[in-house]
Amino acid sequence: MVETGIPKLDEFLNGGIPKGKSLIYYIQPGVEGEVFGMQTVYNALKKGGNCVLVVSSTIPDILKGQFKEFGWDIQPYVNRLFCVDAYNPLIGAPSNEKYIVSNPDNIEGFNKIIIGLIKELPPSTIVFGSLSTIMDLCGEKETIEAVREWNKMAMLYDHIMVYNFTAWPYSEETLKLIKGELFNAVISIGGIAERVIFGQYFGILKSDWAKEIKKSMLFRVLRPGGIKLYIPKILVTGPFDSGKSTFVHALSTRAISVDRLGTTIAMDHGHVDYKGFSADIFGTPGQERFDPIIKLLSGESMGVFLIVDSTNPTDFIRAKQMLEITKSYGLPYVVVANKQDLPGALTPEEIRSQFNLPEDVPIVPAVAKDRKGVFEAFEVLIDKITGGT
Amino acid sequence: MPDTIDMVDKILTDLKKVGGVEACAAASRDGLLIRGILQKEQLAESIAAMSATMLGAAETATIEFGKGIPQRVIVETANGRLIAAGAGPKALLIVIVNSETGLGLILLELEKAATKLKELLA
Repeated sequence: MVETGIPKLDEFLNGGIPKGKSLIYYIQPGVEGEVFGMQTVYNALKKGGNCVLVVSSTIPDILKGQFKEFGWDIQPYVNRLFCVDAYNPLIGAPSNEKYIVSNPDNIEGFNKIIIGLIKELPPSTIVFGSLSTIMDLCGEKETIEAVREWNKMAMLYDHIMVYNFTAWPYSEETLKLIKGELFNAVISIGGIAERVIFGQYFGILKSDWAKEIKKSMLFRVLRPGGIKLYIPKILVTGPFDSGKSTFVHALSTRAISVDRLGTTIAMDHGHVDYKGFSADIFGTPGQERFDPIIKLLSGESMGVFLIVDSTNPTDFIRAKQMLEITKSYGLPYVVVANKQDLPGALTPEEIRSQFNLPEDVPIVPAVAKDRKGVFEAFEVLIDKITGGT
Repeated sequence: MPDTIDMVDKILTDLKKVGGVEACAAASRDGLLIRGILQKEQLAESIAAMSATMLGAAETATIEFGKGIPQRVIVETANGRLIAAGAGPKALLIVIVNSETGLGLILLELEKAATKLKELLA
């Protein structure tokens, strides 16, 4: 089993790619997808595996440089990284790689090197930087036949095959084969411009070893950082003086607030980078006279933190009302039972019964001012937002 | 789909070319950054959220007074100005202007850009 290194994808694939299996990143044109293969290479190297990187769309040294842009240092692993150079011969430049495809416009040239490597190396992760470039040079039918052969050989020799493929307008038949039978798993990567959320997503189109989870994940490509799952908006709401701003600041990598006389009058805005996730957090004011602003800001959120003061049960009615104002019913939400350090704080169970909350709503005890329980709450909410079921 | 993003970028690039404009961005009415031309992307996200709040708060205030929808919100400081203008029901445009330039042309161009963005997202 080799992990892809893409957050959440490994979980959806039951831990990663099993030995002998093939996976293709099926990328819509115009989307930053090549980084998926690179992130898999870096992750496999980091975990101590051997890696082969077939470079066909740029000079190998440039590609190696791109790893650095993402903040991935491959230097310590160079003795386990084998580059196959299928670019320099094309432009007539000398190559300093050990493995060279001397005629990259003929599939036989690839066949010889790839099959040789498959037989020669111990079980490795073999990543193709761009299968579409090979297809452009060698022809669609020829490439598909070769890939079929490579995948078969890889299965016999326990290698893992990973391909980056940009879905240019090839023939219907080719695209159907690629999305269908040719690979054990297909990860589709595309772009959306739906309403006002502009972004990129990935999802599992097919996987023959893991239960297919039909769920799309938004992502961003950060330099450095690589692929991070992106959650454009998480709302933090709750009654007056429950600790919303404190919570936003405790959770965020960076945050700003509009506070006057000790209370939030407009909003808090924070940004969280945590465990492969990148999320923007919007905190609402709590007092009733600011309700129009809450309505304005709460659109398009993907999840909600409802902050309550555990020592103040009389506020629970207002808390419920705020879920209504933010139109949050139906969205995943987590109740954060704040101020657990104060005398008289109710336990999560007591809050559940007083609040009359259903069993499936998580209640996380927290002390926002000491950053206690804050990240636990974040993980619980992220799980609810991205959960496979 | 990526075309829409390119078109938003085009609107912003044109707006950025107007004399005196230091930065500009498009945001959704509920405060999410769509695209921005700023030095730092991180700043863009906060500015988008804050500007959407300001414009929204201004609208709530003027509508309550029976004065209709504000055309724009202009914030002036000693070092520059921030202008937020609605671009249809879904989006708004934000420009940051230096303190020397007169606003005439900028407001005109902002209005044009807002109309384009409104059409684009309709």
